[in-house]
Amino acid sequence: MNRYLRYLCISLAALASHVAQADETPYPITNPFLATIVGTPPQLVAPVPAETDVRQTDLSVTVLPERHLPPALSRYRDLHYRLAWHNEPAPLVFLIAGTGSGYSSPRLDYLKRVFWQAGMHVIVLSSPTNHDFIAAASRSGLPGLGLSDARDLHSAMSLAAEHARKRKKLQITEYRLAGFSLGALNAAFVAHLDQSLQQFDFTRTLLLNPPVDLYASIQRLDALARTQLDGVSSGESFYEHIFEKLARYFAESGGTDIESGLFHGIQSSDSALTDAELAMLIGAVFRFAAADLNFMADLITEGGRYAPADETLKVSTSLTPYLRRALFCDFSCYLETQLWPVWTDANQGKTIDDMAWDTSLYSITSFLRDNPHIAALTNADDFILSADNYRFIAETFGERALIYPHGGHGGNLQHRDVVATMLQFMEGDSHD
Amino acid sequence: MTKLPITRLLAGCVLLTSLAAQGADGIPAYHDPLLELTIDTEGSNYQFERSSLEALKVHDPIEGFNRRVYRFNGQFDDYVYLPVVNTYQMVTPRFVRTGVSNVFANLADVPNLANSLAQGKFQKGARTTARLLFNSTLGVLGLFDVAKAMGLPQEPEDFGQTLGYYGVPTGPYLVLPLLGPSTLRDTTGKAVDWSIEDTAAFLDNRHYMNDNPWAYGLYAINLRYINGFRYGSLDSPFEYDQIRYLYIKLRELQIRQ
Repeated sequence: MNRYLRYLCISLAALASHVAQADETPYPITNPFLATIVGTPPQLVAPVPAETDVRQTDLSVTVLPERHLPPALSRYRDLHYRLAWHNEPAPLVFLIAGTGSGYSSPRLDYLKRVFWQAGMHVIVLSSPTNHDFIAAASRSGLPGLGLSDARDLHSAMSLAAEHARKRKKLQITEYRLAGFSLGALNAAFVAHLDQSLQQFDFTRTLLLNPPVDLYASIQRLDALARTQLDGVSSGESFYEHIFEKLARYFAESGGTDIESGLFHGIQSSDSALTDAELAMLIGAVFRFAAADLNFMADLITEGGRYAPADETLKVSTSLTPYLRRALFCDFSCYLETQLWPVWTDANQGKTIDDMAWDTSLYSITSFLRDNPHIAALTNADDFILSADNYRFIAETFGERALIYPHGGHGGNLQHRDVVATMLQFMEGDSHD
Repeated sequence: MTKLPITRLLAGCVLLTSLAAQGADGIPAYHDPLLELTIDTEGSNYQFERSSLEALKVHDPIEGFNRRVYRFNGQFDDYVYLPVVNTYQMVTPRFVRTGVSNVFANLADVPNLANSLAQGKFQKGARTTARLLFNSTLGVLGLFDVAKAMGLPQEPEDFGQTLGYYGVPTGPYLVLPLLGPSTLRDTTGKAVDWSIEDTAAFLDNRHYMNDNPWAYGLYAINLRYINGFRYGSLDSPFEYDQIRYLYIKLRELQIRQ
């Protein structure tokens, strides 16, 4: 009896490790908001080379020569990208950032080093919703539509790859693609578009924490910034409230070593941030990204909602009044005030649900389901997904759905197991 | 003899329980984190807007000038400072760079010590606070490690802090050429710190540096080398506004330490 039970346990254990890539030390943070903010504890992070040891540089290409930008934003005339390369022939991975992130964000720097260390060239691109991409590479100036964002990205990728090939004598053996968050949805649409264009013929496409229905995810993110907080009076500032907590914690503890346990100390003290506060912090960061998006899209399309259309923004012009206005418009507001009016003009008789469908993974289901070279990695507690979205990922990608129980929105992406799984797929050991 | 199988048995059964939590089809059960929050309906509570508007109220009477200097600093970084620092990084081994940093850090310890004494404290967790502050606000989502980006590990006690400790208000916000964000109070403090370093003439360093002007060059390179902040790293057209608020808050917290 005992022996049979043992065999049962062991075989089930093998099954479990097959399904969830389980390890003796799985990702430990079970609170999805905390996980999203804190990331992976240092002792569980897959080791990568130091930034200074990577052969890399930042380059820029002119994507839209006809685009005119005011002096205040002239930094963004060219599209900047980050290149990490090898002197030998190697596959090139394009890495696309998530909402409100640029090519230089630390999360992408980490992923860049993961792929670079595994022998790939890497080009990191800003999210099409990031202000620099809107200014330099978005033809419409209005990101947020699956296909038109994919076209903008595809052009930018072609230019960047060609540019990198010339400047650094890059020898490219094949092309691969990966994206995080909204960048993952972008990657799916770029791969789909490339199937028709047949330019890159991506051999691997990896979607990290993708939204499924972008507009549904947007509403969930917008909701985070409306989280009710206990203990913050109606006149008090939320940021001041957080600062007070931190200051109080440090006054009591006399300061601790952050490197070894960021947040661990404060989260086990009287000054621990509540779930509502953590959610609000995340929501606030996304609202600032939404403000950037609103402001830049409006500026490029000369809508005059934030900065007056007839005013030239000089280097010395204060942008603070425009930020004040843009802060009131969240992602849903962007959809309603900027994206929808333009879309409906070109798509008479269609509803806003049609627009949402066109920018969801639902619209390319069969492509995702039948393509063995596309995988999606996500978590059961990723708050950008609804239950339906989550089920869609599991069902559509089947055994190429790499799903973990905890990690929130990308909190576990540096975990040893997760990195090993990513590389296993990207290097093609198990899916050829 | 029996020890190993039992351990394996236990390990297997632990995994068995974790499998049970994954639902019938082997996929971890979906968990909606938003269900545990109370979300206000739109337009009923302006917590985010009110707090953010409040954060934009910083006394910045010469903002036009400051923004020009801010841009100048960014471009100086792009075209001069960072290329020089990169070359420095390429041609010198790490232990040499660390050594150089330590030498200048030791010299700067003179005003550090003076200021710690003036404030009656020795142990300070300022940079720890600052790191936590930045990681918890801007660093949310791991979008960027702003604390590191702002070069906080190098933040010592300075006379601006001492002034603040004794209740001197910040005064207007200033962006200094090459040195970056500051306030009238902190700029005054910086000038005092430099003169303390001068007067103390620790290890006769000023005399040595005057005889060997390249040492000032090395001082400037090291100053940029140890500061990880990069213009544009906040990924926003409103970076100036965000840095302005964060600088003021950071100094406030350092002073309260």
